[in-house]
Amino acid sequence: MRKNISQYTILCLCLGLILVEQSIAHDYIPGEVQKQPILLARGDLHTVSGGVMLKTDILFENGRITAIGKDLPLPTGGKVIDITGYQVYPGLIAPNSTVGIIEIGQVRATSDISERGRNNPDVQTHIAYNPDSEIIPTVRSNGITTALIVPGGGLIRGRSSLINLDGWTKEDAMEKETIGIHISWPRSSIITAWWMDETAEEQKKKNEENRRKIVKHFDNASSYYIARKADPNLKIDSRWEAMLTVFDKTLPVFIHADDLRQIEQAVDFANNYDVRLIIVGGREAWKTAELLKENDISVMLGSTQRMPMRSDDDYDLSYRLPVLLRDAGVKYCIGLNGGSWSSWGTRNLPFLAGQAVAFGLDYEEALRSLTLSTAEILGVADQIGSLEIGKKATLIVSSGDILDQLTNHVTLMYIEGREVNLDSKQKELYRKYDKKIERRAKAGLSTN
Amino acid sequence: MKYMKKPYFFLAALLLSSSAIAQTTPNYGIRVKNSEITTFRNANIQITPDLLLENASMVIRNGLVEAVGTNIKIPADATVIDLNGKYIFPGFIDAFAEYGLGKKEKKKRRDRSGSPKYQADRQGGDSWNDAIHASVNHVESFKPDSIQAKAFHEIGFTTVQSAKLDGIFRGRSFVALLGEGLSNDMVLRPYSHHFLSFDKGSSKQWNPSSLMGSIALIRQTFLDADWYSNAQAAIKKNPNQKMPEFNRECKVVAEVVRDNETFVFETSNKLSLLRANRIATEFGRSFIYIGSGEEYERIDDIAATGAKIILPINYPKTPEVGSFEDELDVSLASLRHWETAPSNPHILEENNITFALTTHGLKKKKDFLSNLRKAIKRGLSKKTALASLTTVPAELCGVEQFTGTLEKGKLANFSIWDKEIFEKEAKIYSVWVAGKKHELKPIPEYEFKGEYALDIDGVDFELEISGKPEKLSGTLELGEEKEYKLKNVEVQGPKLMFSVKLDTLELIGTFRFSGRIKDSSYVGKFTRPDGTRQEFVAAPVEKSAEDEADDDTDKADSESDVEDKEEDKRHKKKSADDNDVDDDEEELIAKLTFPNRAYGLEKLPQQENVLIKNATIWTSEDVGILENYDLLIKDGKFAALGQNLKAPAGVPEIDATGKHITAGMIDEHSHIAISGGVNECTDAVTCEVRIGDVVNSDDLNIYRQLAGGTTTAQLLHGSCNPIGGQAQIIKHRWGSSTEEMKFKNAPPTVKFALGENVKHSNFGDKFTVRYPQTRMGVETLIKDECQAAKEYDADWAVYNKLSSGAKKRTVPPRRDLELEAMSDIVNSRMFIHCHSYHQSEILMLMRVAEEHGFHIQTFTHILEGYKVAPEMAAHGATASTFADWWAYKFEVYDAIPYNMVLMTKAGVVTSINSDNGDLGRRLNQDAAKAVMYGGMSQEEAIKLATLNPAIQLKIDDRVGSIKVGKDADFVIWNNNPLSVYAKAEQTWVDGKKYFDLESDLLMRAAIKQEKQALIQKVLAKSESKKNSDDKPKKHWGERNNFEDYQWQCDDSFDYWEKVNK
Repeated sequence: MRKNISQYTILCLCLGLILVEQSIAHDYIPGEVQKQPILLARGDLHTVSGGVMLKTDILFENGRITAIGKDLPLPTGGKVIDITGYQVYPGLIAPNSTVGIIEIGQVRATSDISERGRNNPDVQTHIAYNPDSEIIPTVRSNGITTALIVPGGGLIRGRSSLINLDGWTKEDAMEKETIGIHISWPRSSIITAWWMDETAEEQKKKNEENRRKIVKHFDNASSYYIARKADPNLKIDSRWEAMLTVFDKTLPVFIHADDLRQIEQAVDFANNYDVRLIIVGGREAWKTAELLKENDISVMLGSTQRMPMRSDDDYDLSYRLPVLLRDAGVKYCIGLNGGSWSSWGTRNLPFLAGQAVAFGLDYEEALRSLTLSTAEILGVADQIGSLEIGKKATLIVSSGDILDQLTNHVTLMYIEGREVNLDSKQKELYRKYDKKIERRAKAGLSTN
Repeated sequence: MKYMKKPYFFLAALLLSSSAIAQTTPNYGIRVKNSEITTFRNANIQITPDLLLENASMVIRNGLVEAVGTNIKIPADATVIDLNGKYIFPGFIDAFAEYGLGKKEKKKRRDRSGSPKYQADRQGGDSWNDAIHASVNHVESFKPDSIQAKAFHEIGFTTVQSAKLDGIFRGRSFVALLGEGLSNDMVLRPYSHHFLSFDKGSSKQWNPSSLMGSIALIRQTFLDADWYSNAQAAIKKNPNQKMPEFNRECKVVAEVVRDNETFVFETSNKLSLLRANRIATEFGRSFIYIGSGEEYERIDDIAATGAKIILPINYPKTPEVGSFEDELDVSLASLRHWETAPSNPHILEENNITFALTTHGLKKKKDFLSNLRKAIKRGLSKKTALASLTTVPAELCGVEQFTGTLEKGKLANFSIWDKEIFEKEAKIYSVWVAGKKHELKPIPEYEFKGEYALDIDGVDFELEISGKPEKLSGTLELGEEKEYKLKNVEVQGPKLMFSVKLDTLELIGTFRFSGRIKDSSYVGKFTRPDGTRQEFVAAPVEKSAEDEADDDTDKADSESDVEDKEEDKRHKKKSADDNDVDDDEEELIAKLTFPNRAYGLEKLPQQENVLIKNATIWTSEDVGILENYDLLIKDGKFAALGQNLKAPAGVPEIDATGKHITAGMIDEHSHIAISGGVNECTDAVTCEVRIGDVVNSDDLNIYRQLAGGTTTAQLLHGSCNPIGGQAQIIKHRWGSSTEEMKFKNAPPTVKFALGENVKHSNFGDKFTVRYPQTRMGVETLIKDECQAAKEYDADWAVYNKLSSGAKKRTVPPRRDLELEAMSDIVNSRMFIHCHSYHQSEILMLMRVAEEHGFHIQTFTHILEGYKVAPEMAAHGATASTFADWWAYKFEVYDAIPYNMVLMTKAGVVTSINSDNGDLGRRLNQDAAKAVMYGGMSQEEAIKLATLNPAIQLKIDDRVGSIKVGKDADFVIWNNNPLSVYAKAEQTWVDGKKYFDLESDLLMRAAIKQEKQALIQKVLAKSESKKNSDDKPKKHWGERNNFEDYQWQCDDSFDYWEKVNK
């Protein structure tokens, strides 16, 4: 049954190079639904859930992982790819991304991040998701298979969707249509920097007014929820209808909050309405770890590669946020900051975890914070996030350590068993102008 | 014309008569001829700061001091006022005020369409810039204002130097008395100092929109004035040539300069004071500065200016730290400043800086004296304090002949107090301005306070009357056993009445007393409960010193018994305010570091000689990466690089086994450490502005970047204009002054920019007015500037060839700082770093440069550089780019992370840059992306952040690689520096260790400890004051506990509008 292996071995001896060359032929057409079993042979598997398994095979069929082990038999009609010396990881999941809902930052026509108004629980990001965005291929070529697309906006922003970064339409690409409702918690700090126009009193008042607005919306939504349960013929309010699943706890509320006071207010708020809470951003979550643990609240950290929040903070505080939360026993994952720069910027997600490793987080934990921990927080850990039998074959192969820009080199990607084209507009431009430079070098500057 | 250097005739005007006011004004009705001769006796008179005469007398006549002393003859015609030991101080002088000039106006800086106002509405031969109104003589709109004057009177001021505190060249101030009447009579010196500032104030014009823009404007204005006077002189000599313009502002500034007058320059923080002083030095002028109260933070530099300072004492409000949550917003810097600010005047005194105090900046002028007392408690001598309120400002205002002391012949400007002003709760009774009394609180005519022996029907009581004159209270004591509180205490004219309920011996019931003071005794009649009346004489009780001490505590006790609860509360609150003055032993906790904020250094690092052993050395030179090598650091330079090096005697070794060493990283494109705006966005060409004028040594980004291995940065102007401002290269010498941070002898550089930002494409619909709006226009504009520069050079060449006689007869070309910079550019004396993205504009600029005979040193950002890399290499341009940014605007939609690799391949010297304070902490990681995207070798990749930017900045002879003889700027890493896992452990600049992970950990602990100790101190104060209606302190350095502002390339807002809002 291993009789076919030799021909693949030859093919894969210099896998990195060859696969890139192969992909030239592709026109980054979405991967075909998995038809034949695929066995990735003798790679180093970072299963996340079950440690690192060196020189181990992984088999997937019909989009699901079916076996992991040494010297696995290849089912009939299967394809073997020898990946000796390569690293295999679950596909990385990017939280708080905007990939696909904005194309060019300062071109307003290309942005669908933020809807007008401050109370939009009924808007959903997948509606605007453009699977043909030129940004998407550049993101997946660094190992990101899945992204939580989060709306922007004021106060109640809308609902996020979890999307696979390959598909003809967003429907093909859907991992989970609705993940949660996102709320920007009003600022709680008083800023006295030269650029601030408002007095401390004005700031306090505004912050409190905004907090009261959210409370008012939730009061209305929860009254609606009660009325709706009692009377199925109640006239439908688009906004409150979208929030029903928050009150029956199917959907969590994602509150974007960085400041300690914001986080504490958000926890109180969630408890008052008996809703599930996930903190997004969470730059000072480590200061209130006990409260978060008591209430079983997870934190979706923003970028760890950014300035500390306060001028008296340690220079490396952002880098250390993951390790601080881990030490405190708070459940967390590492994500992005949201907004327009978290579209193309999504591709640097792996290095955020790498930065945390440099500042004290252990490697396996760092990897988990981009995969299984994220999947758990998003409620999809039964489907993705680790290399486990029964889970989706959403995984990546890299010639080197994925968390380090020095070695990150993704050579294969599968989303639910579909082989993903790793080419991109940027690689095309690279090849095109490399030609120009080579021709010029050969011919001198006088000719093309 | 010369203004009033010796304004004696005004003194004469005042002397002649103060009753026949304003001699030129006709009299209406009956003439007023009050007697104006008064003698004060039994007073303690502060004649000069040095001389306090006790028990002295002073005669004033016709508004002047006629005589003063302990043994003077009291004229027969004088009204005599017995001051009973009260105090007379010379009238205080505020050298910086806006008095008697109506209300402040606020203007919007947009024209009707909402677009910025690029140009001034011109009239009357005025300046092109609305913030320049030097020709205004503020005395011409002066009208005494009794409400404003009263606020000054209440704290003993009688004289101010006043101007509208608005704009940059603010016009000429005047010195006036704070009296009532006609302005004609109040003016002491009508044409006093010119006022200057950096803040354009209410000017509607967009320019200047930044601090560096203001500095450039001041500089150009001085040059214009100089040109103007030469041009006018030439046209007089030879009228038959092209006529120079009339310009009233140039005329006035030229006259001020010609007469060598001093400007009074308002600054808003210590760094701006030093900035203003650099202008003074440049133009050979001397300025008097309005200080900020934070001079102590850079006292050596301030003292070195030798300048006189007009010093506000508006201390910061008490930080709100009442709860743990409040504390989050409070920085160590603000806590330190809160504690240290009252020491500032004393620190100036210790450093022999001459200063006058001003009430400027105080929200309530009433706080002036309590703040002054705090300064005294921190060591300011009373003599200096008095001088700073009297003789020093008198001299600064040029009125020392008239006022400032109470010597014979001076104006009768003074105030009368119950105690010395430095004593807590000293009360002021009246202020006399040129002999005219302004009563604030009547001096009690009759003094009842004291202790008296009172005999009531044969029983000996001790009567004690205490409290404030308007609210007396008292007790009646019978030996040690009984004490009765007086009720119904009331004063009617000379009479004191009270009742007291007794229950001792035969004296039972309420007795009522009425009496007056006669020969120090309290005499009168009392009424018994049965209605019968009896005369009494209560003689004063003589007391021993010990009793006096007891007495004070008694007094305090009895005062708290005051029945009137409101009064009681008010009084208590007042004592709380004065607490600082009360505690004798105040422990000062705040450290002073450089800069004075968290992570500032107590001592600047010293150069160390050291041998680093067994390291992996990334040389950034052809030798590449050397494993197991030694590196000798000596006298701030790399002294030796080799294997098995021996440490010279006395040089310590560091074992760096397993460590990597790179040259300190260099950021070609940074906007950190800049004050007051990164863009002068108001014109398409602003190469007259200089980032070097506004370096901010306090910026924490410097330290944080050291922690990321960055040691040198080019601070660039933003990308608002095709031709932007001049750049400044700094080394990250954390703790040093702005001047010490500057990279010495680096060739000058300038920022150019192309594309969307300079077209204002993404600034909104209001920004469609300025030329250029297309890439086509950008080209023509730059070409036009190059041509103008050449013609400028030619004009000067012609003029410079003239004989000195001919020069005097010829209107000279005008020195134009913009064209001067352009001339440096086209003549390759200043090098261009051009923000650019599109291949079209890259080619355009290279061709324009080639046409005019210069070259483009560096294209910065240059995200489409890969498309024209061979052309760039042929031109000789270098490139500094982002590793992987793209898609944030249309012109970067074709950006690719392979840019670095492709440009390098084509032979373009390439670097990576940050454009961002945070990214400037990880240049090594961005360099590694060249390995990731396109497979650059690691030896080559490290050069992207070290040698190559040094080449681009033309400082590679000094920095950028590890090579014997270069500056010892290096980083010790715990790992391969290109790896995400690498952490800088030490960062050295000039052989000095500026960052060390271990010291950083120690500082963290120390910062937390100091901060908590200061918070405890705030909390120990009676009450944390909620001053939350205060606007944020705009002008102070960053003391906020929020991220320092990170300037962006395309920040186009008006800095002055922001800080004035």
